[in-house]
Amino acid sequence: MSESQTPILELRAVSRRRGGRPAVREVSLAVRRGEVLGLLGVNGAGKSTTLSMMVGALAPDTGSVWLDGLDLAEHPQALRSRVGWLPERAPLYDELTVIEQLDAAASLHGLRAGARRAAREPVLERLQLGDLRQRLVGHLSQGQRQRVGLACALIHAPALLVLDEPCNGLDPVQVVAWRRLVAEFAAEDRAVIVSTHVLAEVAASCNRVAILHQGTLRHDARIGADVAALEQRFFTIATQTESA
Amino acid sequence: MSIARLQARRLFASALPWVLAALSLAWLAWRFLLAMDQFLQAQDKLAALPDAPGFTDLVTVPLLAQVAELGIVLAPLIGMSMLAGERRAGTLPLLFAAGIAPWRIVVGKFLVAWGWLLALLLVVVSMPLLAAWGVAPDWGKLAAAVLGVALFLGVLAAIALAASACVSHPALAAAIALAVSVGLWALNAGVRANGVTGGLLNYLAASSHLQALLKGWIGSVDVAYFVLLTALALALASQRLGADRVRC
Repeated sequence: MSESQTPILELRAVSRRRGGRPAVREVSLAVRRGEVLGLLGVNGAGKSTTLSMMVGALAPDTGSVWLDGLDLAEHPQALRSRVGWLPERAPLYDELTVIEQLDAAASLHGLRAGARRAAREPVLERLQLGDLRQRLVGHLSQGQRQRVGLACALIHAPALLVLDEPCNGLDPVQVVAWRRLVAEFAAEDRAVIVSTHVLAEVAASCNRVAILHQGTLRHDARIGADVAALEQRFFTIATQTESA
Repeated sequence: MSIARLQARRLFASALPWVLAALSLAWLAWRFLLAMDQFLQAQDKLAALPDAPGFTDLVTVPLLAQVAELGIVLAPLIGMSMLAGERRAGTLPLLFAAGIAPWRIVVGKFLVAWGWLLALLLVVVSMPLLAAWGVAPDWGKLAAAVLGVALFLGVLAAIALAASACVSHPALAAAIALAVSVGLWALNAGVRANGVTGGLLNYLAASSHLQALLKGWIGSVDVAYFVLLTALALALASQRLGADRVRC
């Protein structure tokens, strides 16, 4: 995988409070094209808040988020074509059909009518959604909804794909297909960020791991062959208490 | 436009706007037929009067006034889910993540809500125009009345959207919008009942500005009142929506 020097995404000391307590504290992180970064942490570590700030859904209290060299606070429109995001629960409109949902996602990301039509078919084929195109989203199973959500995140061919617990609700066959899709995506000189609390998922699909715990970044390194050492490291961090 | 297109698609995919449109049009058509009947029966008496009111005064304008009153109920029902429903379904962050500014989201949705109400108004206006084919209506008075009702419907749509931006439950949004709209409408009658006329509260009431336009008087003060009120409600909705990114 090729890696250019300019980060597609950079967090500069971002902090964010939620519900009156600090959810993310002074996190700095840079992601380059070709990287598949696994954002690992136990429940409540601050992964979803960090991801929401990365994609502009939440504004950081302090610090800044840079996308392709642009400060998101000053250039929120930079998100439009560059980022695809799939939150933990795929946010879909139940009253629309799959094809209408995809059309809407493409339109929101700035694709014009011709480009929308051209982008639709490859994504439907890639995610095996062709048979479901006329089905109402509200009638889909959890796994199917997840795939439609992923299709919406991919429709505008973003440079950065941000996925929050993407394997939730997928069967083992779909998980393997999903890993292949992430690898293909990163091979196209794009970047992927995957948030999960499952270490095996990170080891299987990512080439770099960042471990968050109690809102702070505790570990950031490439994933080597020694997965057992990473597991030990994660366990050590995850069992640390606030005072430690 | 992408927000408006998405909102329109969602709105017309649900049963509510169709049911509301059908019930409203049935009710207004019935009212129109009653007004027509009364107008035709009074023809002989009207012909004897020197400055008798015409078809526009007796049929069209009262019908338009009923559209305005019906709008007080319809606008909250149409607008209640537009932002509150998105917040409840967790789809609002997706719009932010597409780099769409809160004011664009609000304006896109407002255009759909207002557009739906205007479409209803258009159908209602066509009833007396088609029925009175060959009779020249008072075009000036008709234009002023249509303008007034259209502007008033814009205010109602903006209030519905502002209420929808403030809460997460559509039914609560509808109740808030209904209360504000009724208050704005009934304010004038309330203060008049207490013997106050020409005061600030009379001025703030939407009904007093609409009455002038329904009489055919297009005043810049009345038009500005409706435009400012709409802008104020939309600004409130945008501000509240923007706060979601900061406060959540």
